[in-house]
Amino acid sequence: MDNEKKIPANLLLNKICQDYFTRAEPNEFYLPVSEEAFAELIPQLPKFETLLISLFCVENFAGSTGFTLFYVLEKRRAQNFVILLRRLNGNEASSIAEYFPSAGWFEREIRDGFGIEFTNSVDKRRLFLHEGYPHDFHPLLKSFKNRDITENRKSMSGAGKYLFKEVKGSGVYQILVGPVHAGIIEPGHFHFSVIGETIFNLEVRLFYKHRGLEKLAEGKTPAEAIIVAETISGDESAANTVAYCLAVEKIAQGSVPERAGYLRTILLEMERIYSHLGDLAGMNVDIAFPVGASDFFVLREEILRFNETLTGSRFLKGLICPGGLKRDIDSRDLFKLYSYLDSFLRRLRRAADYVLHNESVIDRLDTTGVIKKELVQPLNITGPAARASGVGIDNRIDHPYGIYPFFELAIRTQEKGDVHSRFDVKLSEIQDSVEIIQKSVSALKSGSVLDPISLKDGYGLAVVESARGQNLHWVYIKNGLIERYKVRTASFCNWQSIEHAVIGNIVPDFPLINKSLNLSYAGTDL
Amino acid sequence: MIEPFHNLFKARLAPRQIRRDSNFEEIGLKLKMEISSIFGRSLAIREVDSGSDNATEIECNNLSTPYYDIERFGVSFVASPKHADILLVTGAVTLNMEMAVLKTYEVMPFPKLVIAVGDDACDGGIFKSTYAVRGGVDKILPVDIKIPGNPPTPTAIINGFLALMEQLRNQPRKS
Repeated sequence: MDNEKKIPANLLLNKICQDYFTRAEPNEFYLPVSEEAFAELIPQLPKFETLLISLFCVENFAGSTGFTLFYVLEKRRAQNFVILLRRLNGNEASSIAEYFPSAGWFEREIRDGFGIEFTNSVDKRRLFLHEGYPHDFHPLLKSFKNRDITENRKSMSGAGKYLFKEVKGSGVYQILVGPVHAGIIEPGHFHFSVIGETIFNLEVRLFYKHRGLEKLAEGKTPAEAIIVAETISGDESAANTVAYCLAVEKIAQGSVPERAGYLRTILLEMERIYSHLGDLAGMNVDIAFPVGASDFFVLREEILRFNETLTGSRFLKGLICPGGLKRDIDSRDLFKLYSYLDSFLRRLRRAADYVLHNESVIDRLDTTGVIKKELVQPLNITGPAARASGVGIDNRIDHPYGIYPFFELAIRTQEKGDVHSRFDVKLSEIQDSVEIIQKSVSALKSGSVLDPISLKDGYGLAVVESARGQNLHWVYIKNGLIERYKVRTASFCNWQSIEHAVIGNIVPDFPLINKSLNLSYAGTDL
Repeated sequence: MIEPFHNLFKARLAPRQIRRDSNFEEIGLKLKMEISSIFGRSLAIREVDSGSDNATEIECNNLSTPYYDIERFGVSFVASPKHADILLVTGAVTLNMEMAVLKTYEVMPFPKLVIAVGDDACDGGIFKSTYAVRGGVDKILPVDIKIPGNPPTPTAIINGFLALMEQLRNQPRKS
């Protein structure tokens, strides 16, 4: 490790871009970097189509004391991940948000969790710790043992006021919405600066649902922590549980039986179908077109009922575990699903035809909430939102996992990046998912579904494509227990795109834009 | 390409579809009768998410979709707590949401009832005694009925509503 620290930055850059990213054997490469090389390297990386997909901190990593920052890098069309390890002396580091805008929230998250100060960052407000938390409280420090901190508190407000970016001037007014909204939605606060009816600026404040999931996982055995992965975001539970299990299986060098691989894929695609159906319905509701929505709602309910038949849970909980599945799924139910999906496709197309042949629907969807293609890389926007803006990325193809390499998957892209494009992308993806499920059911052979893993210590990264985009899970096991569990769901990065997408749109279109992006509050707040 | 006269020339009547759950219907009709006798005509519910994973919200939303359509039985989800008879809270109460939940409860008119929906809302679930969560809803508000489940199905939720009505009918009326 010490040898690598002496490598100058330009050599390091060659090594990263021409060796690690392009190596044939898919892997994640951990690369310790000295402070000088790091400072030289970072400004050059964005030129090589390199993205910062996650940034997190680990205390006392692999025998060291103090903090280590993990910069997870991805390169377009490269299968591997490169993780720069930056060891800190003390609790100060320089910010890289200037070169990688996606780092902004990550750095604020680390500051809250560990108390690390990013010296030249422009935004030093707290992120997931709101006013109710005391000053100098950093829950992810190892010295803090998880407990109820409200027992002896004197008042409900600890830290100072949270200041919003506010546009001022004649004719500009502010609309404050949330955290409690008018519908049955999750909590979040939106601060609009509006001129007439046009949104001039939006600032999103989230993390109202911060439940301390990362800390909760610490000290649990890998089997106990499944429930934490499941509860990250209720409608993403299969994707998150599979990602968590992939990481644990990678550490244990375990494998999954073929049948379990196919069944997991069926569950993942069922999740994508019902999640996308909810969006298609929701977009219709938000433009006051409930007739169009109801067909999609009916289809989604039927998929949820199939979920229950297959797994016992409408949200696919409690079945996936490291090494495969806890129990088998009855093949007769799968055949029923197979034949149901034929009529499902017909009805889906009819429902979509009805909606998309309606002029007033198109009028609302077209040119609304555009996400520019240029934003996708700096903000690390993933999933249908990126594909609707003309960026053909999909982790099932770019970083294949499970049995996805056996399928020929198509990437559905649209160019305009508006709500209509996202509607179209999601509609085509539902049809693709149906095809994947039907192929999986046909390919299924009987066999065991669980290959118990023998636990080992170590760390591993897993990245999956959930319905919302790229979900990243990093697990670090020490002495058979979880030492650190880092989750970054697609919504965490995609949320920042909405601040750009709404500019120039009218306030009544905000719910529609929000729905078309389908951002999970729970998955972001953790 | 959108055919401009498509909707004019082609009759687009939806085929009649019957997809009702006999169990759900039965509970719904009972609930309707209870609501009529206790609340006059309708029951207004305000939902607040205090920190659930979003599955419980999806199930609450499902109550208004064609399969269930709970408004037939006199139950409506309202936009403001000022219009609500019942506060329906989902999820363990996080520190960040504590104030918002309390404020929502405060502005409701009397008499006000509270329902906790989901395992985490009932007693804090897996989040019990962690730094970010206060615990179940009953830690900060008087809860009238708890509907457990991870998440509870739409039928379980409507069953909970019915149980609350029966509880109300049997308890002496407060002046």
